Amino acid sequence: MLLHFGPQHPSTHGVFRMDLYLDGEIIVKAVPYCGYLHRAVEKLCEKLAYVQLTPIVDKNDYVSPMTNEQALVMAFEAMLKLEVPRRARWMRSLFAELQRIASHLLAIGTFSLDLGGALGGGSTVFIHCFRERELILDLFEDVTGARFHYNTHTIGGNRHDLPAGWGAKVKAALDVIEARLPEYGAMTLENRIFQQRTKNVGVLDGELALELGITGPNLRASGVDHDLRRDAPYSAYDEVKVKVAVAKAGDCYARSEVRVAEVKESIRLCRLFVDGMPEGPINSGKPTKLPVQTKIPVGQTYVGIETPRGELGTWLIADGTQNPYRLKIRPPSLHSLSALPYILPGQTVSDAVAILGSLDPIMGEVDR
Amino acid sequence: MAVSETPPVVAPAPSVRTVDTGTNFRHPLYQVLLETPGLTVGTAALDDLMTWGLTNAMWIFPMATSCCGIEFMATAASRVDIDRMGVIVRATPRQADVMVVAGTITTKMAPRVLKLWEQMPEPKWCIAMGSCAISGDFYRNLYSVVPGVDTFLPVDVYVPGCPPNPEALMHGMMRLQEKVRRQRKGENVVPEVKPELLKITQPSVPRLTDPSRPSEQSHQQELSSDDPTTTEETAALVVPAGEAPTLAPLVAADFEGLLGELGVATLPTDGPPIIPLAQHLELARRLKAIGYKQLVTIAASHWPAGKGRKGADAAEVEHYEIAFAVRTIGQGSRVASWAVKALPTEPVLTLSGIYAGADWQEREQFDLVGVKFAGHPDLRRIMLAENADAHPLRREFPADAHAAPWR
Repeated sequence: MLLHFGPQHPSTHGVFRMDLYLDGEIIVKAVPYCGYLHRAVEKLCEKLAYVQLTPIVDKNDYVSPMTNEQALVMAFEAMLKLEVPRRARWMRSLFAELQRIASHLLAIGTFSLDLGGALGGGSTVFIHCFRERELILDLFEDVTGARFHYNTHTIGGNRHDLPAGWGAKVKAALDVIEARLPEYGAMTLENRIFQQRTKNVGVLDGELALELGITGPNLRASGVDHDLRRDAPYSAYDEVKVKVAVAKAGDCYARSEVRVAEVKESIRLCRLFVDGMPEGPINSGKPTKLPVQTKIPVGQTYVGIETPRGELGTWLIADGTQNPYRLKIRPPSLHSLSALPYILPGQTVSDAVAILGSLDPIMGEVDR
Repeated sequence: MAVSETPPVVAPAPSVRTVDTGTNFRHPLYQVLLETPGLTVGTAALDDLMTWGLTNAMWIFPMATSCCGIEFMATAASRVDIDRMGVIVRATPRQADVMVVAGTITTKMAPRVLKLWEQMPEPKWCIAMGSCAISGDFYRNLYSVVPGVDTFLPVDVYVPGCPPNPEALMHGMMRLQEKVRRQRKGENVVPEVKPELLKITQPSVPRLTDPSRPSEQSHQQELSSDDPTTTEETAALVVPAGEAPTLAPLVAADFEGLLGELGVATLPTDGPPIIPLAQHLELARRLKAIGYKQLVTIAASHWPAGKGRKGADAAEVEHYEIAFAVRTIGQGSRVASWAVKALPTEPVLTLSGIYAGADWQEREQFDLVGVKFAGHPDLRRIMLAENADAHPLRREFPADAHAAPWR
């Protein structure tokens, strides 16, 4: 039987379609289709000036806009050989870690929603996770004025400085989240029904994951110890020691396990960054009268950073003008989804929903 | 951008298609009651009862595609909790009264949205949430985005913002309830146009024509000027000519050795080394063998005749440059990247036999840029619709081409 799954389906995390070829309830073959949210971002980038691009890429991975901006401006800075002040680098790392907590909370919440009624009506974990996610959005709203789509990274530094007393607010929020993490553990990882729905479901082999270019928690759940924050440090990560969470099993349970562990690690890192936040300028000290005129010399570069979903990269081809000649965004979610034809066959339809949710794709960056 | 200052706008009567939105709605049972003698006195009260029921149990079908969908979820979640208005989110159109279009609608998605709208039973209403649903936002001129859902749906309430706060969506729902109440009473729901509101769109503060400031025109000229030495400040941001950025992280020692074996002696400074098409797969195979196990990305670019990298052989004719990047795993992770050049007619051998992930990457580059990969297992379009006739990332494709049926 051929079953069309999506594009509008509550568990496709946006708009995504799969054609599932079924034998009874078992999937024989899966053909994914994407592009339902193809917003032509790369074409738009060719038209706009470099400084106009940060608000555009915010909308790609709309669950973690901070890291989107960071990956983009870091590519520009690499080409311009700009030195970013230490305070700005620490702020960027702090924002990225807070964003990782918010993003993983959303991932855990929506994944539990995907697993459905088995988890106390399904929406319990979701509502709990969103309660804590709001705390982090409030922190960002204090700094940038926006709940998301911040547009706070600029070429050479940051736009908004931290308001007075913000560090204390961060710590208070982190305390609340940390205290509630065991609650999530009880509702998800230690929940027998959750385990039955996720263990040995959608097992992804580490070697295949590497070949497919899968990164982030999905790769680490398959037993590959790889995290760009530790292995190719950027921003302030060369000054702190990042503990990388790795799980061996490669199934949906392992992916959730890694995400929960990463939330804990991010809380630790956030406290470090708040305590050690250096004083100094937040921008490279080269204010431009007309930033829109920033020109990047002829050349090409690739910069990749570790976002909550994996390696987000920017391949930039500059031709010496104010606009990029070609800007290719490497989205981690697209690579994650490319695993579906390999891991879905042999699973049931209900597991397909769990597997898709556990990969945590964001369609905005898959289709761009 | 996220904070919406303007209140939600209630739309005038539907312009595109005439849709029965509640005014004429009569349940069959209601009709029976109406025709029963002696019951006419009760119908006014019954009407009120139905209005009360309709407006206090507006179930939402979330047409959530992108960022606004996340704010929609936040509206349904713990802090704002739209449930207290009797709003329940239903994932099927057959059980919903209100379609909230939250997010960008692309040309590929629009027919599906219309189909879902048609599956919703009458009476039904539509809320356009966020700039993309209202007008297409900054994507509106691009080839794949519908410039506003009101081009094919009768929108009742517009909630502005990018994305609108949960509170803004809540406000939009309240305005919709108000609209339905008035509609059911037979009142005119077209908002009164206040002349003083229209004035706001005119520039009231002559900022740029102020004599102490540079005129708007000269400002525009400055912006469009191509001269890199306009101001000292901008010059400071630009690396002086002749001093191209080094690409040290792109060419690690082991990769350089491999390139030497393949006969690439000098490394270019303006991008990854260019490998002859024939040696491309051999290089990938060897890189994988020495530990570059992870596929990072494939980025193709189109260069029309006369453009291209300096010092490259094929700079004068139209060609594609396809860059590949792979990565080592674990501590001290390195990226190795190389590029190949291909004429538009010249197929590039697929990498998908070596790195499985190249499958989708090559499909994407074929779809958007137009590069043909030989030996690819399934070279179909991935982003655009199957029947699309252009490769939009080619240079001659206009960046401001409206999406086809909405042009």
